[in-house]
Amino acid sequence: MKARAFNYVKASTVVEALKAFEDAQDDASYIAGGQSLVPTLALRLQAPQLLIDIAHIPVLRGVDLQGDWLRIGALTRHHEVLTDPLIRQHAPLYSEAAPHVAHPAIRNKGTLGGSISHADPASEFPAMTLALGAELEIASRDGVRRVPADDFFLDLFQTAIEPGELLVAIHVPVVRPGHRWAFHELARRRGDFALVGCGILAEFVDDVVKQVRIAFFSVGSTPLRARQAEEALIGKKLDQAVIAAAQAVVGDDLDPPEDEHTPPAMKRHLARVLLGRLLGEIARQGA
Amino acid sequence: MSFEINGHSFSQQPQTGQCLRTFLRELGHFGVKKGCDAGDCGACTVLLDGEPVHSCIIPAFRADGHAVTTIEGLASEVGIHPMQQAFLDAQGFQCGFCTSGMIVTCASLNQAQRADLGASLKGNLCRCTGYRTIEDALDGKSNVEDAEPGAAFGRSLPAPAGPQVVTGKARYTFDVAMDGLLHIKMLRSPHPHARIISIDSSAARAMPGVHAVLTHADTPTTLFSTARHEIDAMDPEDTRILDDTVRFIGQKVAAVVADSEAIAEEACRRIDVVYDILPAVFDPAAAVASGAPVIHPDKTPGHRVSNAIRNIVAETHGEFGDVAAALASSAVTYEGTFTTQRVQHGHLETHGGIAWLDAGGILNIRSSTQTPFLTRRALAQLYDLPSDKVRVFCERVGGGFGGKQEMFVEDILALAALKTGRPVKWELTREEQFIATSTRHPMRVTVKAGADKHGKLTALQLDVLSNTGAYGNHAGPVLFHACGESLGVYNCANKKVDAVVAYTNTVPAGAFRGYGLPQTLFAVEAAIDDLAKQLGISPYDFRRHNVIKPGDPMLSPAGTHYDDVTIGSYGLDQCLDLVERAMEIETKHDLDDDWLIGDGIALTMIDTVPPQGHIAEVVIAKRDDGGYDLTVGTAEFGNGTATVHRQIAATTLGCSVEQIHLRQSDTRNGGHDTGAYGSAGTFVAGKATHDAAQKLVAAMQADSNARSATGTSGGTPRSVAFNVQGFRVAVNKGTGAIKVLKSVQAADAGAVANPMQLRGQIEGGVAQSLGATLYEEMVIDDRGRVVNPKFRDYHLPSFADLPRTDVYFADTYDAIGPLGAKSMSESPYNPVAAAMGNALFDATGIRFTQVPFKPDRIFPELQKKFGKA
Repeated sequence: MKARAFNYVKASTVVEALKAFEDAQDDASYIAGGQSLVPTLALRLQAPQLLIDIAHIPVLRGVDLQGDWLRIGALTRHHEVLTDPLIRQHAPLYSEAAPHVAHPAIRNKGTLGGSISHADPASEFPAMTLALGAELEIASRDGVRRVPADDFFLDLFQTAIEPGELLVAIHVPVVRPGHRWAFHELARRRGDFALVGCGILAEFVDDVVKQVRIAFFSVGSTPLRARQAEEALIGKKLDQAVIAAAQAVVGDDLDPPEDEHTPPAMKRHLARVLLGRLLGEIARQGA
Repeated sequence: MSFEINGHSFSQQPQTGQCLRTFLRELGHFGVKKGCDAGDCGACTVLLDGEPVHSCIIPAFRADGHAVTTIEGLASEVGIHPMQQAFLDAQGFQCGFCTSGMIVTCASLNQAQRADLGASLKGNLCRCTGYRTIEDALDGKSNVEDAEPGAAFGRSLPAPAGPQVVTGKARYTFDVAMDGLLHIKMLRSPHPHARIISIDSSAARAMPGVHAVLTHADTPTTLFSTARHEIDAMDPEDTRILDDTVRFIGQKVAAVVADSEAIAEEACRRIDVVYDILPAVFDPAAAVASGAPVIHPDKTPGHRVSNAIRNIVAETHGEFGDVAAALASSAVTYEGTFTTQRVQHGHLETHGGIAWLDAGGILNIRSSTQTPFLTRRALAQLYDLPSDKVRVFCERVGGGFGGKQEMFVEDILALAALKTGRPVKWELTREEQFIATSTRHPMRVTVKAGADKHGKLTALQLDVLSNTGAYGNHAGPVLFHACGESLGVYNCANKKVDAVVAYTNTVPAGAFRGYGLPQTLFAVEAAIDDLAKQLGISPYDFRRHNVIKPGDPMLSPAGTHYDDVTIGSYGLDQCLDLVERAMEIETKHDLDDDWLIGDGIALTMIDTVPPQGHIAEVVIAKRDDGGYDLTVGTAEFGNGTATVHRQIAATTLGCSVEQIHLRQSDTRNGGHDTGAYGSAGTFVAGKATHDAAQKLVAAMQADSNARSATGTSGGTPRSVAFNVQGFRVAVNKGTGAIKVLKSVQAADAGAVANPMQLRGQIEGGVAQSLGATLYEEMVIDDRGRVVNPKFRDYHLPSFADLPRTDVYFADTYDAIGPLGAKSMSESPYNPVAAAMGNALFDATGIRFTQVPFKPDRIFPELQKKFGKA
């Protein structure tokens, strides 16, 4: 199929981009890397009359350490997420998830901000945003606001970004000594969307779990925190019994959709297997 | 906007909405291929400022101010790029359609990326090779040999098109610029079963740029089959070019011919069709039950539809001996029901072609087909044209695997060219490939088998229900073939077959590598394996004891009157020995005890030619420069016949292959060739080449002025070829994940014409079949719609998904085939699912009876048996 014959405008500032969107009376899309957008245009799942190219807006670029927060510009490409030393050091779950995101040719173009605002529930980066406890900086004609990841993912492909708003940057609280983390996903095979995936960021004090964020993907209409499993870990040492207790409740945290091939019961089982592996790995990191 | 492409800067404004891929092709960079247009396959990969990207999902305007490098720009004035040379040395391609994108990606890899090719090549799919030769290219290996004059046969000579393939200069079907070219887009049925009440195309016709809208009112009402066979009577007459009844979602309804694809597509949206929706049936068992909606109510045995009221296209029933009595008195018996899924060929070049009328009034069709001659014949018949007024030809074909043994597009292309008088092009999308071309026939196969206490087979019975979808192209022949060699390879006094192929309101099934045998072998070889296990006999010995030997008849009910199959050479014993020896070698691994490990084998036999005639006519003519022009009809679509034909001719004529100038697959060149299917490229067409060369040698000896000779082959008598596949697998109890620890295949292809290419055919066959065994599945919902019509959701095996297969050749010389060679294109595919099923059984003790063996599919049974992880 062919995309609708859209118009195209290059924005050089955020304000210019926002204004172009408003002028198009919402019949527009922002294009960053375009790796999800262009196929949907070609399939006419979306058919805006205007594409607003945001790839040349300087403020959307760059990775900077700002005190206890790492600011990652929305235009940071997947390839850069994979290789950037600041991200590796301060927001390591992104780096660990990056090799699982698409493949090199896509990673050369696709952007972190694009992936997070697309909010595919099977994608790695939205879930890691949740696990890292990041905040999303969103610009609108009224100014800029920051939304915690916990309030950002609303439903299937739906986020707190309102029509016309633009994701500017991702702010990640940096990991500190005492933090441990792990990422893994189960797929039918390499390159497939994950059947179940998970990232965990935990803060330990004297081998006791002080805080933990467990974020799953491919198990609901948004990336999901496993709150009951988190509860089961807080204040505990990560031994076999504690891990088993978290595994016992994690199924209730998830909301896998009915799927002909991977029934919810199986996804829950796989989530338990995955959680066990990841918590085991985190426990070993302390040894 | 200003662009720099391959070092040249220029200004040009892309069309709105245009992607970089089509922009580059419009500028003549035909090395940039379309495989999916969705960023999944990598055939369109180019470098953007030195980084590989999929040009199909980059808006053209995004390249403004940037440097683009296509495959054509990799070479410098000094010569071709080292990576292009590496692919040439390793012959890291078969059809070559993925090669441009693959080389561009490989050329961009750094050392770290090269160390993890599974990850680095995730975005570049190859459907032909199984990736081993691509890895060889990256490792700097050379796989080619040279040959003295007269000694080419049996040597690993490179494909003659190699230099063009690796530089992006090889021309495939759509790689041509034509003035005044019009484009076709097809409006397709949204309903699985409906009668068309009316089609209002006035709004579409009124659009600027629309030249014609073709509906069933414009087409002859002749019934035919899209399947191409030498004898038309092998398939039912149940299809019209455009029909006033639609029988599956995706069936052709109206074709728009317009100045551009975009206009044609928009015009399709403006056609108003009123349907009378009819009840539909999607499950073959429901379709043959009484009271089911009848899909072709007006068809009769006269149309070669066996029982239209019960939706049965074809059936076969027969019994030798008394199976029931034999089973009752057997020491051990086995019964099981196996199901196979719907899979797609996945050749990266989609169906399509270009048609035009030339100054001489000849209708020319440049098509992506395996059967140019049979397609010309069908077009001449459909449009009542003299056959010398129709020319069908192919340039290089980007893969086929049986999917192009059909006439899916040429009928519409011809009509559009005839109606408009303009050149017209029609290139299917990847989605159209999935919803509206053909697939493998899904089958349900119940097998019963018995053996006596000494391990002698006493009974073999098959009950088969095949699903041909909405049309019967290849339905009968696939069914008969499925029940033929799978039983014929075993000596057994009591055999029985009841097999039926049903219409359903789903996308039609058709010819696909193996032609039914992979489906039935999955069941038969499981039964053989199980009987051996019950008796405590090794699976090798049990098979040795029961397979046919030279001189034995090859029998399967209901029998056949095509009794021209003989054992022209016999290497099945060697194949079993080779695999047994290879499997004895231990495999190192570091897997924990969550993993269960097991071995499995399966064997297959295949007749070297389809029945009822396969004809090839070949001409060799001496050239003034001392070389020879070799004119053959068979098409090159990655199978390697272009290489082998030159080897056969050069060996017979005592010259070098460089002196043989091949002209291929063009009806204008005269002669006849049934087609590049049924693994006939070497055995039949190669035999005709051998015949022509021998005749020319004899003629030149008799008369030094002799210039040319014609050779023929009628595809009869036929021989048989054999394969044995072995797997060692590990299965994870907790997740259902499967790892292939060892893959071995031994093949009896007679005298090996080109060891490198034969190895490639076998590796590629195993790879494609592993896709179907482990991963691939077209999912059809309860409305009859294909829910995953794209590579992203269907997912062909990528580099990381496939093990390397060790390949062994039996040492035989066929009495019938040219220079002792036999066929070996389809057969490597056939035993793979069966061998994998047997290995899983050996590992787990569970008999999995449904492919694909996806982890989520096999997991419930594992959990039942082994408990919670």
